[in-house]
Amino acid sequence: MFWRRAAHGRVGFRRSLPELGLLLLATLVLLEGSVLPLGAASSPETGITPGAGVSHGHADKNHSETKHKKPFPVLGLNYDSVKTPFEISLWVLLASLMKLGFHLLPRVSSIVPESCLLIVVGLLVGGGIKLIREEVPPVLDTKLFFYCLLPPIILDAGYFLPIRPFMENLGTILMFAVVGTLWNAFFVGGFLFAVCQIPHASLSHIGLLPCLLFGSIISAVDPVAVLAVFEEIHINELLHILVFGESLLNDAVTVVLYHLFEEFSEAGTVTVLDGFLGVISFLVVALGGVLVGAFYGFVAALTSRFTYHIRVIEPLFVFVYSYMAYLSAEVFHLSGIMALIACGAVMRPYVEANISHKSHTTIKYFLKMWSSVSETLIFIFLGVATVEGPHQWNWVFVTATVILCLVSRVIGVVGLTFVINKFRMVNLTTKDQFIIAYGGLRGAIAFSLGFLLDIEHFKDMREIFLTAIITVVFFTVFVQGMTIKPLVELLAVKKKQEAKRSINEEIHTQFLDHLLTGIEDICGHYGHHHWKDKLNRFNKKYVKGFLIAGERSKEPQLIAFYHKLEMKQAIQLVESGGGSKLPSAMPSTVSMQNIQPKNQPPPPKPTERALPQLTKGREEEIRKILRSNLQRTRQRLHSYNRHTLVADPDEEGFQDIILKKQKMMELDRKIKEMANYLSVPSHPKDSPTMSRARLASGRNTDFIPAQQQKGNKKSPDPQAYNIKLPAGGVPTIQVDLASPQSPDSVNLLDEIGKAEQKEDSGLMMKPPESNGPEKAGEKDGWRDQQKLTRCLSDPGPGAEDDEDEPFLP
Amino acid sequence: MGSSSSSLNNVPDGQQLMQETGFSAAHLLRLYERFKFLDKDNRGHLRSEDFEAVPELSENPIGDRIVGAFFLPGQETVDFSSFVRVLAHFRPTEKNRTRAGAQPEPANSRNRKLKFAFRLYDRDRDGKISRTELLQVLREMLGMQVTEEQLQSIADRAIQEADLDKDDAISFDEFRKSLEKVNIDHKMSIRFLE
Repeated sequence: MFWRRAAHGRVGFRRSLPELGLLLLATLVLLEGSVLPLGAASSPETGITPGAGVSHGHADKNHSETKHKKPFPVLGLNYDSVKTPFEISLWVLLASLMKLGFHLLPRVSSIVPESCLLIVVGLLVGGGIKLIREEVPPVLDTKLFFYCLLPPIILDAGYFLPIRPFMENLGTILMFAVVGTLWNAFFVGGFLFAVCQIPHASLSHIGLLPCLLFGSIISAVDPVAVLAVFEEIHINELLHILVFGESLLNDAVTVVLYHLFEEFSEAGTVTVLDGFLGVISFLVVALGGVLVGAFYGFVAALTSRFTYHIRVIEPLFVFVYSYMAYLSAEVFHLSGIMALIACGAVMRPYVEANISHKSHTTIKYFLKMWSSVSETLIFIFLGVATVEGPHQWNWVFVTATVILCLVSRVIGVVGLTFVINKFRMVNLTTKDQFIIAYGGLRGAIAFSLGFLLDIEHFKDMREIFLTAIITVVFFTVFVQGMTIKPLVELLAVKKKQEAKRSINEEIHTQFLDHLLTGIEDICGHYGHHHWKDKLNRFNKKYVKGFLIAGERSKEPQLIAFYHKLEMKQAIQLVESGGGSKLPSAMPSTVSMQNIQPKNQPPPPKPTERALPQLTKGREEEIRKILRSNLQRTRQRLHSYNRHTLVADPDEEGFQDIILKKQKMMELDRKIKEMANYLSVPSHPKDSPTMSRARLASGRNTDFIPAQQQKGNKKSPDPQAYNIKLPAGGVPTIQVDLASPQSPDSVNLLDEIGKAEQKEDSGLMMKPPESNGPEKAGEKDGWRDQQKLTRCLSDPGPGAEDDEDEPFLP
Repeated sequence: MGSSSSSLNNVPDGQQLMQETGFSAAHLLRLYERFKFLDKDNRGHLRSEDFEAVPELSENPIGDRIVGAFFLPGQETVDFSSFVRVLAHFRPTEKNRTRAGAQPEPANSRNRKLKFAFRLYDRDRDGKISRTELLQVLREMLGMQVTEEQLQSIADRAIQEADLDKDDAISFDEFRKSLEKVNIDHKMSIRFLE
C-alpha cells in the first residue's frame, strides 16, 4: 500500500530526480558514517527495495570517491553546509507528498483517518532507517515539537475559534478540562500505583509520585489528535467545541500537574502546602497565559490599525505576535497554548476589520498550510519515534494503562455531565456523552512530555512509561479514530450544519439578545445577557475606536455581517458572470470599506452614494406617482444613452434620480439574471425618459422599446418587486455597479440579436452555452456553488463556517 | 414548603399563576418581590413610568418595545398576573413534558416564545412584519451609525430571504421558518426563571 501511495504521490516525470538525490544522500551518509535523520530521506526509496538501495549506495560511493581524486573539483560535494535545511525540507516534502498521496486514494482515506495512515508511514520510514543504519535519529525532539510543530496548529485553532459557541459553553468546557483532567490523572495514577504493587509484575520500583506523574501525562486529551480526527467526521458544533475546547484548555492543568509531580518526584514527599501551592500555580499558569496572550493580541490589533500603507506585511504581524505570545508564556512557565489561543481569539475581530481582503486570505491560507504540514509531520514523527524507542514492554503496565484510561474517561465524562446538566440550559444527552468520552484522544503531546522526563531520575521507569504512552496513543488514534466515524453514523449523532447564516438569523438573533437583556433588567437579574451586553457596550465605546482604523470602528456588527454577505455574493456573481462585462463592477456599499480602505469614509461620498439612494422604498413612491401617468410599469431602458438625449431642463433633479435609478435597476437585473432569478423589478418607467428612449432608439413607433415588448409578453404583472428566489436560495443583492459603460454596450448587442426571449425582463445576459434560461440558471446555480467555494478560497471543510461568524459574540 | 406557601398567599392569584405558568412557588415569590420593588408608589400595578425607571432599560435599543409587550392592548397598567404571564415566556423549555392534548400550550414552548418575539416586531398586530416595521426595528437597533440606504438594503435583503409567499412582508410562519436553525429554547430562556 505504501509503494502504491508513493508512486501515486509523485508525478511521473519527477520520479527520477528525488530518487537520484536520495541515492546521493545515502551515499554521503554511508561515507560519513554519522547519525543523521537523513536516512529517512532515502527511506522511501529504500522502503521499496532495501537491498537495492544499499547496493546502489555502494556503487555510488565508489563513483564519488573517484570524484574526490580529481585535481580540480568540477563537481564537488558539500553536503555539510546544507545538511540541516536539506533534511528539514526533505521531511516536509515527505509529509506533503504523503498528504497528496492520501487524497489520491479516497477509498482508503474514507475508512482510515489520515492520522493513522501517517503514523503507519512514520513507522515504515522509521523501520526503513533502522534497517539501513541500525539507529534512528531522534526526530521527535522535544524542543522541535514544542517550539516549531505545535504552535502553528494551536494558532490555527485559536484564530479560527468560533467564539460564540466557545463562550456559551465555557463553563462546561472548563469543567471537563480542569476537573476532568484532574480526575483522570489521579484515577489513572492511583490505580496504576496499586497495579504496580502486584508482586509478580516487576513494577514495584515505581513509586506513587512517578505513577501520578505518568497519570498526569497520559490524561490530557490532545488537541492535535482531536483536530485530526474530528475534522473528518463533521459532528455538530456543540460536541466539536466541547471536546476541542477541552483539549485546548487542559494544557494548563497538564503543565501544572507535570511540573508539580516532577518536582515532587525528586523531593520524594508532598505536603499540604505543596498541594495548595499547586492550586495557586494552576490559577497563575492559566490566567497568566491568557493575559499574556490577550496582551499580545491587543498589541497586534493596534499595530494592524496602522498598516494600511504596507499591506503586504500584515499577515506577518499576526504570526509573529502570536508566536511571541507563545514564547513569552513559555518563558514564565505559563501555559503557552492558552496564550496562543487567547492571542488569536482577541486579535481576530479587530485585525480582520483592519486588514485588507487579501491579507485575510493570506493569513487563512498560511495558517491552514502550516498547521496542516505540522500535523502531518507530528504523526509521521510519532511513527518514527515509535520505531526508535527506547522501549520496555511490560504487559501488565501497558494493559493496565490502556484499560484505566478508558475507564477513567468514561466515568469522568458521565459523572461530570451529571453535575453539569444541572447548570446547563441545553442538556447533554447520553449520545453526546458517549462521543465526548470516545473523542478523548491522546497524542503527541503526551509522548513529548514523556520524552521530556529526566533520564536520570526516572531511570528504569522512563522506558516503561514511554512504551505505555505510545501504546495508549496508538490505541486511541487507531482504534478510536477509525471507529468513531461509523459510530457517529450508527448513533445518528447530529452532524454539522452546512448552511450559512442568513441575514434574518443575524437580525433576529441580535434582536433576541436585546430582548433578553431587557427582560433580565426588568427582572433585576444580572445574568448572562446582562454582562455580555455590558461587555459589548464597553467594546464598542472604547476598544473598537482604539483598535480599528478609521470608519470601520463605528460599523455595527450587523452592517459588517451584511457587507460580508454582499461581498461574497458579489464575488460569486462576478465569477459566475459567464462572459459579461460586469467584473469591473463592485458593490459600492461594500467597496468602500472592504476593498479600498484607503478611500474616503462611506457616507459623505455623493456620487457613489447617489446610486444606492434610490432604494426600494423611494422607488415605491416614485412608482406610485408615475403609475398614474403611465400604463406600462415595466420597462428597461437599454438603449438609453446620455449623449444622444436632450436634457430636459425642467426635470433636472428628477431626471438624474430616474436615470441613476434606471442604471441601477438594469445592472441589478442583469446580475439577477445571471444568478438565475426571474426578477421583475417593475420599475415604472417615467414618461420623459421613455420618450427620449424612443427618440434615441428610433426602433419602434410603438410606445415601448423593443425589449419591453418582449418583456411584457411574459409577465404582465405590474406589481412591484417579484423577486423569486432561485433553487439555490440565493437572495438578490442590491449591487451598485460603478461603471455605467457595461450595460449600455451589452444592451445594444443584445437588442440586436434577440428575437425571442423567455425571460421576463428584456435584457439577455445569457452565457453563450446555455440553451435556455432555466438550464443556464441551473448550470449557473451549480457553477455558482462551485465558484463560490473556490472563489471564497476555502482551504478546508471547517473554514467556511468561520467566515460567517460575526466578529463579535 | 410551609413557609413559602403561606407567603404565597400574599401573592395575588398565586396558586393559579403557578399552575398556569409553571413557575415554582419560590420563583413566583421572587417575581412578586421584584414587582413590588418596581411598583414604587405601591399601587398594586405598574405603569410605563415604573418600567422606565429601570436604568438599563433606557439604554436598550428596543426597550420601549419590551415595555410595551407587558401591556395588554388598550391597557395602561400591568398587574402582577400579566407581569408574570409575560415573563413565563422566558422559562427554559422542559424537554420531556408530556401534556394532554386539551391543555393549552405552555407559555414557554418554542412556538409561544416565537409568537412573543413576533409580536414585538409586529406592533400593529396585523400578523405580518411589514417592511416599515422591519425598518423601524433596524433603525432602533442600529441607530445613528448607519445610513438610511444601508438600512433599506438590509431590510430588503431580509425580506427577500424570508418572504416565501412574496407579499413583501414576513408572516409568522415565515418568521418561524427563518429561525428554524436557531435554538430558540436556548436563546429565549433565562435560567433565573426556571
